Amino acid sequence: MATIDYSIKDLNDYGISEDKLPKLVESIGMEIEGIKDGEATMNITPNRPDLLDIVGFKRALLSFSGKIVPKDNFYSMDKEPAMEITVEDSVKSVRPYIAAMVVRNADLSGNKLKYLINFTEKLCDTYGRRRKKLAIGLHNLDAIKGPLVYDAVHDGELVPLGESKKMKFEEVIRKHGKGIEYGSIITANNPKALYPFLSDSKNVLSLIPITNSNITRVLGSTRNLLVELTGTSINAVMDALGMIACSFIDSGAEVQPCAIVYKNRTMNTPQLSYREFRIKKFSVDKTIGVIIDDNQMVTLANKMGHTAAKYGNFLLVGVPPYRLDVLNEQDVVEDLAIAYGYDRIQPLPVGGFSIGVPEDYRDYSNSASSLMIGLGFSEAMNTYLTNEKLNFESVAHKYEPASVVSIAYAKTEVTTMLRTSILPQLLQNLGQSMHERMPQKLFEIGSAFGVEKGRIKETHLMGVVSEHSKANFAEMKSVVEAMMRQLGSGKYSIEDLDDPAFIKGRCACIRIDGKTVGHFGEIAPQVLENFKLEEPVVAAEIMIDRMRKV
Amino acid sequence: MHEHETRILKLLKEKRISSLEDIEESLGIDADAAMWALDGLSKSGAVKVSKIKTYGVEIVNEGKDYLKLFPEEELVRSIGRKGQEKLSEIKDNVALLWAKKNNWIELREGYAKLTKVGAAANGAEYAQRKVLEGLADADEDKVGILFEKNKAEVDTLVKRGLLRVKERERISRIEITDAGTKLSGTKPEGGMGELTREMILSKSWVGKDFKKYDVNASSEMLYPARQHMMHEFIDVVRNTWLNMGFSEMEGPIVESAFWVFDALFSPQDHPTRDMQDTFFLSNPKQIDIEDVEMLGRVKKAHEAAWKEKWQESLAKQALLRTHTTSVSARYIKKFANAVESSYPIKLFSVGRVYRNESIDYKHLAELYQTDGIIIGNNLTFANLIDTLKRFYSQLGIEDIKFKPSYFPFVEPGLEAYYYDEKRKCTTELCGAGIIRKEITTAMGTNKTVLAWGIGIERLLMHFFEVDSITDLYRNDLWWLRNRKKIEV
Repeated sequence: MATIDYSIKDLNDYGISEDKLPKLVESIGMEIEGIKDGEATMNITPNRPDLLDIVGFKRALLSFSGKIVPKDNFYSMDKEPAMEITVEDSVKSVRPYIAAMVVRNADLSGNKLKYLINFTEKLCDTYGRRRKKLAIGLHNLDAIKGPLVYDAVHDGELVPLGESKKMKFEEVIRKHGKGIEYGSIITANNPKALYPFLSDSKNVLSLIPITNSNITRVLGSTRNLLVELTGTSINAVMDALGMIACSFIDSGAEVQPCAIVYKNRTMNTPQLSYREFRIKKFSVDKTIGVIIDDNQMVTLANKMGHTAAKYGNFLLVGVPPYRLDVLNEQDVVEDLAIAYGYDRIQPLPVGGFSIGVPEDYRDYSNSASSLMIGLGFSEAMNTYLTNEKLNFESVAHKYEPASVVSIAYAKTEVTTMLRTSILPQLLQNLGQSMHERMPQKLFEIGSAFGVEKGRIKETHLMGVVSEHSKANFAEMKSVVEAMMRQLGSGKYSIEDLDDPAFIKGRCACIRIDGKTVGHFGEIAPQVLENFKLEEPVVAAEIMIDRMRKV
Repeated sequence: MHEHETRILKLLKEKRISSLEDIEESLGIDADAAMWALDGLSKSGAVKVSKIKTYGVEIVNEGKDYLKLFPEEELVRSIGRKGQEKLSEIKDNVALLWAKKNNWIELREGYAKLTKVGAAANGAEYAQRKVLEGLADADEDKVGILFEKNKAEVDTLVKRGLLRVKERERISRIEITDAGTKLSGTKPEGGMGELTREMILSKSWVGKDFKKYDVNASSEMLYPARQHMMHEFIDVVRNTWLNMGFSEMEGPIVESAFWVFDALFSPQDHPTRDMQDTFFLSNPKQIDIEDVEMLGRVKKAHEAAWKEKWQESLAKQALLRTHTTSVSARYIKKFANAVESSYPIKLFSVGRVYRNESIDYKHLAELYQTDGIIIGNNLTFANLIDTLKRFYSQLGIEDIKFKPSYFPFVEPGLEAYYYDEKRKCTTELCGAGIIRKEITTAMGTNKTVLAWGIGIERLLMHFFEVDSITDLYRNDLWWLRNRKKIEV
């Protein structure tokens, strides 16, 4: 989700009044995050980058309220190129694609320059994946002395935007704010250490995708521009340039194409074309669940900025070039539904009879939980995320990395792995309850994880702890045996076990048919100390799905 | 009069003034019994019991770490050193919040700078810390004094969840009254004491009276063992779906990127697939996907739509699922070719999901989500809206509204919301939509799938007010014993 600020006054000048704004914005699926000091902050979903531009935003709202009706082939580009950019082979390995256009008679007065810059920046941030996939350069056309070349070299220099002194490319990447922020896009995976740049006959105009040169700086008074887009995907640069071209055309400027001259072919950019979809009228009713008549369908398509006409049993829809998100018919149908209004859709029950069946495991663990509550144990629920210190070290267990589900990168050091046992967290819970009345009895049912031969192993465990001055082995044995009688088949054996978390000689494992299903005993004093516990604690951990009756 | 009452009165007649400890010791009765007797005596005006308020304090959560330095102090020091700090680089929201609250910093154009107040505070003594320090090693009497003097700071510390305070009453002085002196000569009241097995068997109670008890005398406080709050609420949600005829799905928490992202049409260069947002695993690094044909279909759909090469290696990356929609995707495939008469198939899941977050009062790294799908023929948006309305209506949330919204795996997509009368604000409830054809086709079905996802914590917070989302997962005995019931 990207946010962008529009001045209420500017929107009002475009014919969108403040009182109608919230409802309109919501109707097209966006949201006003807040209004402060005459500026409205909009939340724009990532599928609609065209709304990050005030011109596109205005166009969408005015179409929706029926104040403008889309015209056939309003956006087109069948003109002769006004400029040429030669692309050298050297850019292939770093940033292969460029698209550009010339804009004449643009009006960047007032807030318009700010809006244009915000739009292009946000576009690079979101759609352009922080300039990696796409970066945009705006230049003052009148300061350019053609012809233009897109090239990549080891070494070069320019006066970065907002600076007064020339800097070497390498220096810009190391020292300049934008270089530090975006330099890695160029330096990563660039074995030949080439810097892509755009230049005219005299100067470097841009170190791509880091910064433009100060020479072609765009000001509020600038009337003629060169807009260039570079990136790693030909589709992304072409689509985004088309979107920006539509914005200039809508604002009344004249857009002229550029010829991009590769070694073996020449391509004119932008290419503005409508995508045609034939929508079966039936498919709209089938999706929305409301029957809509033919004429209304055309109006609905128009409200969303599409051109539309009836054609037999079909609706022919022309999707304008700025709508990058429309991939197939389903997307067009969504637009029709949005135009119709979600709140007007009457709810309709789903037919058919069905019986809701719970997961077996949930039923089983719920009965185990009821039994434990009956025995006076309160239920705890800890996170599956934990860390090595708590999970292993605090209970005197050895950390074996190969058998642990580990997080590659975590923001905090408390969430570095998935737990292999519940007991450490339950002991921690007791530690957090120091001043509460004894006895303190807790249990938890949940998963623990491990890795065996590269595969994930999830186990359903029940952990039990009891802390009070008279807590002893026999108490926990009674609890374990009650569980085995009530939930298991009752056939089990109890054998000695050595576990460093428990006092030696006071720990046992529970076995069914020769398989271990759990263990219990008195927690060792050095472990109690780790949790700052001052009374004896007895504990048990049982694999509950292994003890069930088969 | 009960025997204990008579003995206490006798003792007081000799001493005039006494204490609880003295009574316990001199008469050899325990505190509970003595309290019970004193209760009765003071009600009948025989003794005067004076009580004083005391405070038990416990420094909890981060409070212990803050004793050294509060995060806002740390922040101010850091800004003080550097002159200013970029907002995006300040990771500690708590520090930012309090530095702002204290008027120590001002925020301008994405940078934080010290105000005059902040510059003065830098390195100076911080009132909150001073009080916390004082409380850390104060005895009961000192605590009382500190409390009276620093009410505001104490309140703040409690609100920040750094300090837990329990008010207690302690008997400071017990004094006999004139009425008590007169009474002290009377004999213990007649009648039988506790009913015993012998009395019942021997029928010795026939024709005799039992001693009268003071029905208002205090009794021991009991704490029944209880279900955890999250468990209680998860079962409310599960039962709601089950009642609506939905069957339960289960799926893995440790998943491949394929089921979490690729199968759901999320492009491979999408920002949520960043290490910053999602828990990718270093062990195991990869999870294999068996169905090669399905992989081929997903690859085709991605490359056609996103116009970038689709890499199987990225789809195999192991991670902790970011939503339970991955479970829904697995079931869409599972029921792709069910017996025709079994449609519509209604399914739900409840499970844990993960976000790579730093944990604070608004954020958790591990959350619960409930997802649902209906697979069938001729399913429409109107059916989806109906299903969601019924679900929320059973939880008592009426008048929900719908607006368009965007989620990469549905088309059309919607968001449900309602106006919360209690909090006087619009609250989002869930995201939903019709699963994209690209996805259902890749999963091998030509059916329509309605789908939705709901965050459980946020829903619970509609019924249960907490200061911090972390309270929902508290596991200390005080909370487990004393939390309120969820009122659905």
